[in-house]
Amino acid sequence: MEFEGLLKAIANSVLSMDEEATAERTQEALAAGIDPLVIINEGLVAGMNQAGKLFEENEYFVPELLLCSDAMYAGLSVVTPHIEREENLYLGSVVIGVVEGDTHDIGKNLVKVMLEASGFSVHDLGRNVPAKAFVEKVREVNADLLCLSTLMTTTMGEMKKVIDLLEKENLRGRVKVLVGGAPISPSFASSIGADGYGENAARAVRVAKEMLGITQAKASQGGGR
Amino acid sequence: MTVSEKTRLISVLEGRPVDRVPAICPGGMMNMAVLEVMMATGHRWPQAHIDPKEMAMLSLGVKHLGEIENVGVPFCMTVEAEALGAKVFLGTESTEPRIVEYPLKRIEDWENLPSITEEHYRVSTVLEAVRILKGSCPETPVIGNITGPISLATSLIEPMEFYKALRRKPEIALRFLDFVTDNLIFFAGAMLRAGADVINIADPSGTGEILGPRAFSEVVVPYINKITEAVEASSGYAMVHICGRLGPVLAELSKLKSPVLSIDAVTSLREVKESLPGKVVMGNVSSYLLEKGTPEKVAVAAMTSIKQGAGILAPACGIGPRTPVANIRAMVRAAKGEGPSEEKRQGKGRTGKEDFRQAPLW
Repeated sequence: MEFEGLLKAIANSVLSMDEEATAERTQEALAAGIDPLVIINEGLVAGMNQAGKLFEENEYFVPELLLCSDAMYAGLSVVTPHIEREENLYLGSVVIGVVEGDTHDIGKNLVKVMLEASGFSVHDLGRNVPAKAFVEKVREVNADLLCLSTLMTTTMGEMKKVIDLLEKENLRGRVKVLVGGAPISPSFASSIGADGYGENAARAVRVAKEMLGITQAKASQGGGR
Repeated sequence: MTVSEKTRLISVLEGRPVDRVPAICPGGMMNMAVLEVMMATGHRWPQAHIDPKEMAMLSLGVKHLGEIENVGVPFCMTVEAEALGAKVFLGTESTEPRIVEYPLKRIEDWENLPSITEEHYRVSTVLEAVRILKGSCPETPVIGNITGPISLATSLIEPMEFYKALRRKPEIALRFLDFVTDNLIFFAGAMLRAGADVINIADPSGTGEILGPRAFSEVVVPYINKITEAVEASSGYAMVHICGRLGPVLAELSKLKSPVLSIDAVTSLREVKESLPGKVVMGNVSSYLLEKGTPEKVAVAAMTSIKQGAGILAPACGIGPRTPVANIRAMVRAAKGEGPSEEKRQGKGRTGKEDFRQAPLW
């Protein structure tokens, strides 16, 4: 079927890190009359998810995943203007950032990409984010999930500070906390009272969905933006 | 005859037998400066990053109070980057300096960057600190720390841009890495001339976990080897610290020419030692345990590392500034064959605060 072939071509161009081809195939799919949300979910996001799978299988690494996400975003910028905005398009809202004292944000950026590709609305606070800024953003956007990242052993303690501040502001019960980063382990995550630990970007998304009780069926319906 | 700390470490680096494993905290990315020592000695961050005397005295403070068997400078990974044009925030008493602005927007523009000179204030601070340390403890190995090539490159341009360039514009990325590496060789050479015995190279942004085995052997190994060869040509010794899980690149690690490979706690030391029998494996006491655990637990972890084949006992990574000095001591004493019970018998508390009152003021 022509539609299927086009969507597959979009996914493949994302997977092969080709920005130009992704934008072109997306344009073709739109011209063929494919629903923009279908283009996103079954073309662009499908390709990104395949990239995530290769990443988990140690076939793709950070540079490849970054280039795949560039390709995905190239396609998204073509298709997004054609979407009629609707409510409840997202699986949930996420606040993400690198804790104060640390400016390494590659891991955080990968998690952000994978969360967006999975249909979450992501508010990225960037790097070197003070505990207070996380807590304020969680309150402002009524976040379902807070993702904290750090690459350095010396700033791991900041994560607990954020969780403690959520507690103090009576927000802890309303938001799940997912932590990750090179020095973080599952036991560290539970010792500071986090709800979950993401070993890598692909797994972080799976853990996020589990924590928020999002089933696979529901996930495949959402994911548009 | 007692063996000096320097003789012992150098014997290990040269593959000669020793009475016991040395216990060190190199510095640099593998930070060793902790708040307790800053409080006890009065030599503190951020001043210690820019004042050679403060830098040397803080390192000596960790040596004396933590009983580690080396001194080492600097305490961060921003010296080279600042000398190459990055803007740096020096941090606070308990947070490390960090890059706040990259000098490069596009990787193509690397040719416009300045080169590292001995006169740059961050560089001259480190060199002078090395001279002071060399003079004040000649029997102790002085470790000069440098940032690995990929970590330095990603301190000069947004890391995402750099990683992408490795695939999109490999010729330019590699020429940029040549430039970065030549500058690191210059800095390492200057530290050796100032009196450093060992150069420790840590490249947390250039791990196999991030880059994958192919890129690791193409863009990490050759550059680190180039530095190692230059260090050895200047009669110094090189140590290399590789962060993260080594699984995907275990086979590539044998291509590293440095005699010492320092590893993280997430990797099994035994596994690394078994696959690299010719290398001295250094590590890998969990820095989290060092910060949060008890001296007893640290001692057990240290003994485990030694039993698994560590040729040099060291923390697995940089240690947090809130790490109790008593825990650093417990690690070192495990190498010396003194348990933490020794510490109790001598009536020293877990926080080690009692020690500071008797500590000489630098």
